[in-house]
Amino acid sequence: MQIAQIAAPGDATPVLRETIPFQNASDALLRRVAALGRSRRYATGERIYNAGDSADDIYVVVSGRVEHVFGPGISAQESLKRMDRGGVFGWAGLLLGQTRRFASATALEPSEILCIATEDLVKALESEPLEGSTVMELFATMIQRDFTVPALLAKVRRLSGTPLTEEMSSLNLTLYRVSLWLKSPRPYLMLIGFALFLGAWYLFVEVWKLPRFREMPGITTVVKEWLNPAPTYGLSIYTEEYYKHIAVSIWRVTQAFLLATLLGVPFGLFLGWSRKFKEYVFPVFELLRPIPVLAWVPLAIVMFIATESAVIYLAFLASFFATALNSMLGVESIDESYLRAADCLGANRWQVFRHVIVPGALPFIFTGLQISIGVSWFSLVAAEMVSGQYGLGYVINTSYMMVRYPTIVIGMVTLGVVGYATSAMVRVAGDYMMEWRVRELALAER
Amino acid sequence: MDMRDPGSAAVTRGRILIDDVVKIYDPEGAAVMAVDHCSLEIEAGEICMIVGPSGCGKTTLLNAIAGFHEITSGRIEMDGETLCSAEKPKAEPGPDRIVVFQNGALFPWKTNLENVIFGPLMQGKLSRRDAIGKGRAMMADAGVSSVEHNYPGEVSSGMRRRVEIVRALMNDPKALLLDEPYRALDSLTKSVMHEALLEIYYKNKVTIFFITHDLEEAIFLGHKVAIMTTRPCRPKKVLTVDIPHPRDYGVLTSKRFRELIEETNDAVHEEAIKAFQAGEKEG
Repeated sequence: MQIAQIAAPGDATPVLRETIPFQNASDALLRRVAALGRSRRYATGERIYNAGDSADDIYVVVSGRVEHVFGPGISAQESLKRMDRGGVFGWAGLLLGQTRRFASATALEPSEILCIATEDLVKALESEPLEGSTVMELFATMIQRDFTVPALLAKVRRLSGTPLTEEMSSLNLTLYRVSLWLKSPRPYLMLIGFALFLGAWYLFVEVWKLPRFREMPGITTVVKEWLNPAPTYGLSIYTEEYYKHIAVSIWRVTQAFLLATLLGVPFGLFLGWSRKFKEYVFPVFELLRPIPVLAWVPLAIVMFIATESAVIYLAFLASFFATALNSMLGVESIDESYLRAADCLGANRWQVFRHVIVPGALPFIFTGLQISIGVSWFSLVAAEMVSGQYGLGYVINTSYMMVRYPTIVIGMVTLGVVGYATSAMVRVAGDYMMEWRVRELALAER
Repeated sequence: MDMRDPGSAAVTRGRILIDDVVKIYDPEGAAVMAVDHCSLEIEAGEICMIVGPSGCGKTTLLNAIAGFHEITSGRIEMDGETLCSAEKPKAEPGPDRIVVFQNGALFPWKTNLENVIFGPLMQGKLSRRDAIGKGRAMMADAGVSSVEHNYPGEVSSGMRRRVEIVRALMNDPKALLLDEPYRALDSLTKSVMHEALLEIYYKNKVTIFFITHDLEEAIFLGHKVAIMTTRPCRPKKVLTVDIPHPRDYGVLTSKRFRELIEETNDAVHEEAIKAFQAGEKEG
């Protein structure tokens, strides 16, 4: 009804530059987008689109004036908006899950409008993932601020090719969570908790000298020793020895944990996947699993001549059971209908394993890995206390025998910190591999 | 079949014949009869609605057609080929009969587009590029292209159902088997979904075997409505809905629609009471 192709593509770059979403775009991108545009003229009072229409095009006002009115049911604060040159409307198609117009738009005076097909625009933005996501983000901001659409609705689509639009990237999500966390009372309660604990330690041991605490190393003694360039008992942050112990322990845990993961995950997956395999193996597995790691120490020493392998073996053992058991439970937790759907869609047994069993079990597997890294440290220290020449468990045990009490505490605190760090690393890896879950949970939390 | 719209005359595949099917759970022990000598014919390209109270055994019938469960005796045929019978009690599940599940079964770890191209990729029918091309086109057709790169968990349940139906249609199935797919949706979303389903159906004519406990839904959508007896399940009354397709929501207020509801309401209500009493006895 209103097709009048007048402007040659390329003429549109100046007006695009005046819009909010494209204000900072590169010339190259602007030219690409401008080339997608078609120019149309509308007479005074002419309807450009209605609420409920399919949201195919995005419009930019080149000249004239346009009235934009939200349809009923859209909870924008201002339902009416008038736009001059540089105004952008008809953006509903860029929003998550929207294919229809929210609003109607009418020309208030003879107007020239630039129309760009939404899908073409998205493709152009996808070809420049970095810039594209900035433009999309600006669209979101504009929709929220200028059109007063609530943030909940003003969620823009994700471009393919980019892992995530800037708004939802995992880094931003993390930063967002950190800022939320800082605003909540939680970090301050945590600090108070620490202060109470350390204060109690100081008072019990050094001020009141309570019975049972009298022989303990006090907090000031420990901190002094820890930060001492010339430590009384030979171990502080200035001695090379300290880092060697840490490195040895970490290296042992890493080996044990990787081995347990490499063997435990497939083993657990097969346990859950094949009933027959489970019938053979699971009873033996369940009988061995409750045996404490310390009970394995003598056999481990007999089995492995080298102490190093014996220590790693012990750390591996507990990890392996935790990982395997959780992987198996992960497979068993998968909803039957996913397996049936895969059958219907013609997947063979191996494809079902690869595309349904493994990703479906992943949340449980990562729970298992969290437990696994914890018990790995636990059994490592136990093993190091029994045999070994380096490592934090060895430090604690020898310090006890040599009556170097502050060093024991240094070893303990170091274990706490290093253990926490490794377990956080496993968690981050899990979030990275299960983006779908992180996003689902983030939405559920909202 | 004159009251069907002319387009459906072209559909020649997807005729399902259910012949004297019996399903007894645990035949040696408790011997619970779920389906009792059930016979039903579903024409190619027909929307057949199966109505019955919850737990009446209608899902058992669907599972037998899909190939998830064995049957005890009888025979199910599709286009003259036996799917299952007394000799071969369990049908092979396959992409010619795709189930859309009650709670939805899009893989939450795959994006919507990856879900949609899953079937052709697994069967090795299309290259990844072609599958993506076809998937995008079909998603655009069903109005869900804006959520291509989102995970199912991020979009509304109505959107998810549409994506799931697209995932099924990607395989050019002969029949879609829907197991109360709109049960969990609110009534507003449900009405939108009904029209969306009809819209999709008019574009891709397939046989639709649709289980529901909602009589209005059944008469609104179906060419044929089979009202089932409560456990064991057997057609009590088969009704041909003589309201012409294509239909839209205006049908709900039409005189004929009301008449059909009245005509069948008693039969459905009677079974619901039976199911309720049976439940009470068991409890």
